[in-house]
Amino acid sequence: MIRYVTRRLIQMVFLFLVFLTVTWFLLYILPGDSVALKYAGNPNIPPQAREVAMERLGLDKPVLIQFRDYMFNFFQGDLGVSFNQYPRPVVDIIAERLPRTLVLFLAALVTYYWAGFVAGKYLAWRRGNRGEMLITVSGVGLYSMFLPFFALMLIWLFSVQLGLLPLSKFLDPEQWRDAPFMANQVFMRLFWVTLAGGIAMFGASFFALRTRSRRLERGLKWGGFVLAAVWILFYWWGTESGQAMRVYAGDIGFHMILPVLTLTLIAFAGVMLLTRSSMLETLREDYILTARAKGLPEGMVRDRHAARTALLPVVTSLVLAVATVIDGGVITEAVFSWPGMGEILISSVLSEDIPVAVGAFSFIGIMALVGHFVVDVLYGLLDPRIRVTEHG
Amino acid sequence: MTTRKLPLEVSAGRSRLLEVDGLVMRYDTEAGEVSAVENVTFSLGRGEAMGLVGESGCGKTSVALSLLRLAPDNARYQSGSILWEGVDLLELSDQKMREYRWAEISMVFQGAMNAWNPVYRVGEQIREAMDQHFDPPLNKSEKDQRVDSLFQLVGLDPALQTRYPHELSGGMRQRAVIAMALSCEPKLIIADEPTTALDVIVQAQILEELKEIQEDLGLSILYISHDMAVIAQVTETIGVMYAGKLVEFGSTREVFHRPRHPYSYLLLSSIPSVTGPRRRPVSLEGTPPNLLAPPAGCRFHPRCPWATEQCRTEEPPMMEIGPSQWAACWNSEQVPEMGEQLP
Repeated sequence: MIRYVTRRLIQMVFLFLVFLTVTWFLLYILPGDSVALKYAGNPNIPPQAREVAMERLGLDKPVLIQFRDYMFNFFQGDLGVSFNQYPRPVVDIIAERLPRTLVLFLAALVTYYWAGFVAGKYLAWRRGNRGEMLITVSGVGLYSMFLPFFALMLIWLFSVQLGLLPLSKFLDPEQWRDAPFMANQVFMRLFWVTLAGGIAMFGASFFALRTRSRRLERGLKWGGFVLAAVWILFYWWGTESGQAMRVYAGDIGFHMILPVLTLTLIAFAGVMLLTRSSMLETLREDYILTARAKGLPEGMVRDRHAARTALLPVVTSLVLAVATVIDGGVITEAVFSWPGMGEILISSVLSEDIPVAVGAFSFIGIMALVGHFVVDVLYGLLDPRIRVTEHG
Repeated sequence: MTTRKLPLEVSAGRSRLLEVDGLVMRYDTEAGEVSAVENVTFSLGRGEAMGLVGESGCGKTSVALSLLRLAPDNARYQSGSILWEGVDLLELSDQKMREYRWAEISMVFQGAMNAWNPVYRVGEQIREAMDQHFDPPLNKSEKDQRVDSLFQLVGLDPALQTRYPHELSGGMRQRAVIAMALSCEPKLIIADEPTTALDVIVQAQILEELKEIQEDLGLSILYISHDMAVIAQVTETIGVMYAGKLVEFGSTREVFHRPRHPYSYLLLSSIPSVTGPRRRPVSLEGTPPNLLAPPAGCRFHPRCPWATEQCRTEEPPMMEIGPSQWAACWNSEQVPEMGEQLP
């Protein structure tokens, strides 16, 4: 296992180097440059000033030198400075944007995977009743919906007509005027607190799968859920730092409802159909018949034997979903005016703010690689057939 | 349908464990009603080994699954009963039926390679069954002990129980399946093609062992196979099924040496004999009928070389032919003689 992880880590570093190189050159060969974009149309700028600007940004050096410098600095943690917000460091910009994107999209990802998996599981199990048709058709209908249009419709319905949810942005500036915290601190706190709860829940359901008593299994599942809920409630109401931040965290959460809902409605059908077909395939297997013949209760056959094995391709698709968190995010963030990574991706590429663009892309690359890695490890835990052995 | 109660028991004197009487089961499909099990009657004594043979799709697996009430959702029982020690299994509540499964009747499935869930350890899957059926529940060490002794019984190293199914060979998996089938002390094991996917040597070993276990533990076994030779080695009683119907039933010896239904006769003659007199194997022409619209009269008449007008119109009932032999054929008396005249 250790050997496998080490090998994978080395592969990841190598792959990342390739990714970064390709990204850097792709962005470099974009026609024009940041300085030209800014000053070309302005006749009052003397050519000397333009040259000074080029020199200051390092754009006058040969391309390979620029590339070498960038790579050296990158691995020392220096991603350069933004051309547009000179001299603000890129790391600073990303540190500001990343938590917002991460919190929003991880929340959406977890919600729609969970909803899709549960829906797919029941669809396959209760095959052929009337509800199945309704859920499948509406799910597929939503799945084929154009996201910006659908998002606008939901905004129109919930924010404009019903006035229940905020229109856009991630917080309400009036509430935050005298806030003693930066929004990002709250985001990070939200992230860690929820992650801790999520890990508790995941751990409990992992152990639940390993018990053979139905009652203990159910107990562990609900126990994990309650534990996570208690922890989250305790944190925001019971601890001092939690109490102080609660109002602001609540405001952010309130702003997240609509984007998460939109993404979930659009994306859950994909997971649902995948789970459904995978589960239908599993249900035809002899070991399901064996499980029934053994006199196991139906719920146990469904959850422990059918759904457990049907989970495998769903986990694989999670890899792809990690990437869509970012690219689907570009559009979603734009519609909801959510100032996250997606927004700087577009603006930096359009204005040829190359350090910011490369920096943002490199984070997407890192997230995709880490996602792959996590899924590989998870898969090994879930499927003994591909578990890595020492000699493998 | 009929009130006539055929005893159809070969092992007379032994107490009856299972009595299937006039079982009619149909599958509802989009194309129509498939008559999968048609008026099947037989009984099985305690400690008896019985075989059901027939081509694929003749309804033998449907009968087997009915005994556990595991037939697919579109199966409908139209009449008949399955009495297990006097209790009609078709009348039981789902909950009650669940308690009967594995504790009373267990099963070794067709293609037992896939009978294991790939993501759990073999021992775990056996313990899972034991967790359901012992009252009071077994504690951990009792279960461990049981699994160990079951593994020894079927000739496996108990250490193998911590392996995953894919880590075992085909023969090991099959032996472990038998251990699992024995785990809750059932009275009857249904062995549906128990050795089909194995090589001939392992096949013979496993059949031998299964027979020994059956005799030692006083179990009943219902073998289901398309292979008459396999069935003949290990059973006392044999039932031949064709197109959803039981066409011949009797002691294995009688049926094997003097088949009285043309179908059994042709099925047997299609196996070349190594030791007996030299003769050409006879081939059984045609395919089983479409059960959406089974032929009128005897269901075998389109393929039967001796079919008469009566066979085309009138359905033959099960008729007693000898002390322990029944056949559903109008001309059963002449079957062996007619067979001699075949080219």
